[in-house]
Amino acid sequence: MLPPKTVPTELTTLIRDLQEALGAENVLHLPEDLAVYEYDATIERARPDVVVFPATSEDVAAAVRIAVQHDVPVVPRGSGTGLSGGAVPILGGVLIVLTRMNRILEIDADNRVAVVQPGVINLHLQGALEPFGLLYAPDPSSQRVCTIGGNIANNSGGPHTLAHGSTVNHVLAIEVVLPDGRVVRLGSRVPDAPGIDLRGLLVGSEGTLGIVTEATLRLVRKSPATRTLLAIFESVADASEAVSTVIRRGVIPVAMEMLDQEIIRIVEPRINAGYPLDAGAVLLIEVEGVADGVAADSAVVEQACRDTGAREVRSADEAAERERLWEGRKAAIGAIGGAAPAFYLLDGVVPRTKLPQVMTRVQELCREYGFSCANVFHAGDGNLHPNIMFDPTVPGATERVLELGGAIMRACVDAGGSITGEHGIGLEKRSYMEWVFSEADLEAMRAVREAFGPSDRFNPCKMLPGGHGCASGHAAELDAHLAAGAYV
Amino acid sequence: MTTTSPADVEAIRTALLPGSERPVADYVIDDTTPAAAFEPATREDLATVLRLASEQGLVVVPQGGRTALALGRPLEGYDIALDIGGLRQTVEYVPDDLTVTVEAGRRLGALQAELREQGQYLPIDTPPSDDVTIGGLLATARPGAWRGHVPAARDLILGIEAALPGGERIRSGGRVVKNVTGYDIHRLHTGALGAFGVLVEATFKVAPLPEATRTLVAAAPNADAASALALRLWDASPALRALAVLSPAAATLLGLPETPAVILELAGTQSTVERSTSDLGAVVAFEEAPEVAWETLRAAHGDAARTVLRAGVPPTSTRAMLDEVERAGATGWAYVAAGAVLATFAETPEAATVTGLRDTAERLGGFVQVESAPPSLRHDVSSPPGDAALIEALRDRFDPERTINRGRWGAVL
Repeated sequence: MLPPKTVPTELTTLIRDLQEALGAENVLHLPEDLAVYEYDATIERARPDVVVFPATSEDVAAAVRIAVQHDVPVVPRGSGTGLSGGAVPILGGVLIVLTRMNRILEIDADNRVAVVQPGVINLHLQGALEPFGLLYAPDPSSQRVCTIGGNIANNSGGPHTLAHGSTVNHVLAIEVVLPDGRVVRLGSRVPDAPGIDLRGLLVGSEGTLGIVTEATLRLVRKSPATRTLLAIFESVADASEAVSTVIRRGVIPVAMEMLDQEIIRIVEPRINAGYPLDAGAVLLIEVEGVADGVAADSAVVEQACRDTGAREVRSADEAAERERLWEGRKAAIGAIGGAAPAFYLLDGVVPRTKLPQVMTRVQELCREYGFSCANVFHAGDGNLHPNIMFDPTVPGATERVLELGGAIMRACVDAGGSITGEHGIGLEKRSYMEWVFSEADLEAMRAVREAFGPSDRFNPCKMLPGGHGCASGHAAELDAHLAAGAYV
Repeated sequence: MTTTSPADVEAIRTALLPGSERPVADYVIDDTTPAAAFEPATREDLATVLRLASEQGLVVVPQGGRTALALGRPLEGYDIALDIGGLRQTVEYVPDDLTVTVEAGRRLGALQAELREQGQYLPIDTPPSDDVTIGGLLATARPGAWRGHVPAARDLILGIEAALPGGERIRSGGRVVKNVTGYDIHRLHTGALGAFGVLVEATFKVAPLPEATRTLVAAAPNADAASALALRLWDASPALRALAVLSPAAATLLGLPETPAVILELAGTQSTVERSTSDLGAVVAFEEAPEVAWETLRAAHGDAARTVLRAGVPPTSTRAMLDEVERAGATGWAYVAAGAVLATFAETPEAATVTGLRDTAERLGGFVQVESAPPSLRHDVSSPPGDAALIEALRDRFDPERTINRGRWGAVL
């Protein structure tokens, strides 16, 4: 009897080898099962040849060694919430899904350290730390779903990056499976160990240098007092000016988040967070510290907002009240999903003082291209998140949106900024790398990649432009429509 | 040792702008005098020195404040001293963005003075003093008393430009405070002792200068009580910028009575410091101490004429580590939040003493770094660079001839 579909012999043996090593129940290979793993939270998709669910570092190493023997690429994946196509297996191969490795191995509250597996959900860790009065500072907006492994791969940020820094500042040590299947530990449970800081290089390397199988994280004590302020402005420009003014007056809040009118009008009817529908923009500002310091800092923040045109400043100290003010921010991206058939979320970064001019340019570009754009972003860090709303069933709309995205990225670079603050380069922005880096810079990055292993083995066609096999097929098409028009 | 021919040096000399050469007697390291010393006035010239030296198989030793030359294994060759002091400009400072871009030869003190005018500072207290250069403090990444309370150099670095032995200059990161574009090669350089190139420029995130600071000290009846008090105070105020346990010997360094003590620094707004002072006063009676205490500890940590070790252990194990340090005859103190235990020796210790302390630290879950020691001791007990295969592969790509600091990380590196 003939099989229903022809499967190449090499693929059959790859599947068999993986099943033997990891157990048949931890290997998916039927087309209907693979379809779920074609995409992350971006527009692009590509099907893996096989998906595996390791339970241990040894499983990951075994899967990598088998992939090496069969000469197929390896792509790691957490919850698939990535916003740059980093987990899309663009050349097929073995997709290693780390969600089964979801145990918190240790919480050493006395020394402010947690040891976790890569599949632990960010918010689950926060919940486990709550009884100790501790927190893991990085808090990406997707924290209910995203994994610590994914956060490490992308060096994720979040609203509180302003004061606490990105993921790399909170990862003490990692266990990593290298492209040759070796398992190594990088960094140390105690900071500033002697030796070369490969930990700092691996964090944010988007799964191209190694697969994190365990992480030792730095924890921080929750502040004794916190105040959340909501400042209401007539325009994005005024709110942007307020951000710089607060910093100029010597106060660094733990978060400064902006929502523009477009997003307020989407969020407010759904969430009732209390944002006025006629406001041009609102700023959510959070201040932490000892009670007296919080009062003093809040007074500075409030005055700075009023001096730059805020028509009203509300504040909340109690957890429930603060939560309500934050609710609109946290639900914003989800609310857009209900307001438009599709949206394209961008991640540009500019010097904070260039915010007013770049935000004006973003609005102009969206008008030029004829798309609505809602902005909800980390204003304190100069980290923009325009959400371009569109209908992908309209012929040519997706291409136009990607072009507009490119033009917005270009505006960020021209203002002295960069093309990603926290989402990563992935597949989506690799063709923009040349806007930021010279050929010599990119050559140095390729040298780093080659030092870890052949560039087509771990997450090929990600982060760096070019790459073996990336110049044809789907990846090349993507490059073509991403880059087209971006220079016009 | 390599042998440098006059012709080799002449090729470099003639390639540089006139006036770049310096007297070699000013650049002796471990009793070795280089064949030539240059202080390039431009980045191009600095890259040229590297390229020509690399082509001729010479060893170049970059140096700034010359404060950490006794860190790492002894050099295996020293032909050219490369003084980065000629590159000392501030390239861009935007106070409202809280970012500053400076050339690597700028002294930390000069930068701090410039930032202070705008009410800001770079919260880095690398030993031994503000005489360190930006390039030096990044290449060594030595933590000070503030570590564990405020972000460290490796957290504040936003981007770099580095000159490679091939003569190219490359950038990594950028000038914005949040950026995940490309590999963070700037983090690879941080603490690498020049293994992958010579830093010529760096961009940092800076911070508002605290409106007020206050240093408080409390004597403790014994070492147990001092450690317990410090661990209790660690979280007592978010305004803590430093928290140390002093052994009796370390206390005398600061002119305090010869008993165990806890010394801490508060930094923040006036109201925060006032409130924290009263909060902490409710825990134990403190006396105010002069701020200079921190500079004294910083200088002792960075005293390159002595053997100085830095152990890193979990904070709750600093007590046990400090005991071992005292037992070894060293003056010890601990920065509790970072788990750093410093040990300075009046007399050069035996290698076995250092390895004994290292065994203890490793048993406690940490490490020992030799911060400074005579060459023979450093040869025997300096730390390896980490995963040898990966680091060799990286070094092969960035410095295949081992032009920069040959031997600092060990024989093949």
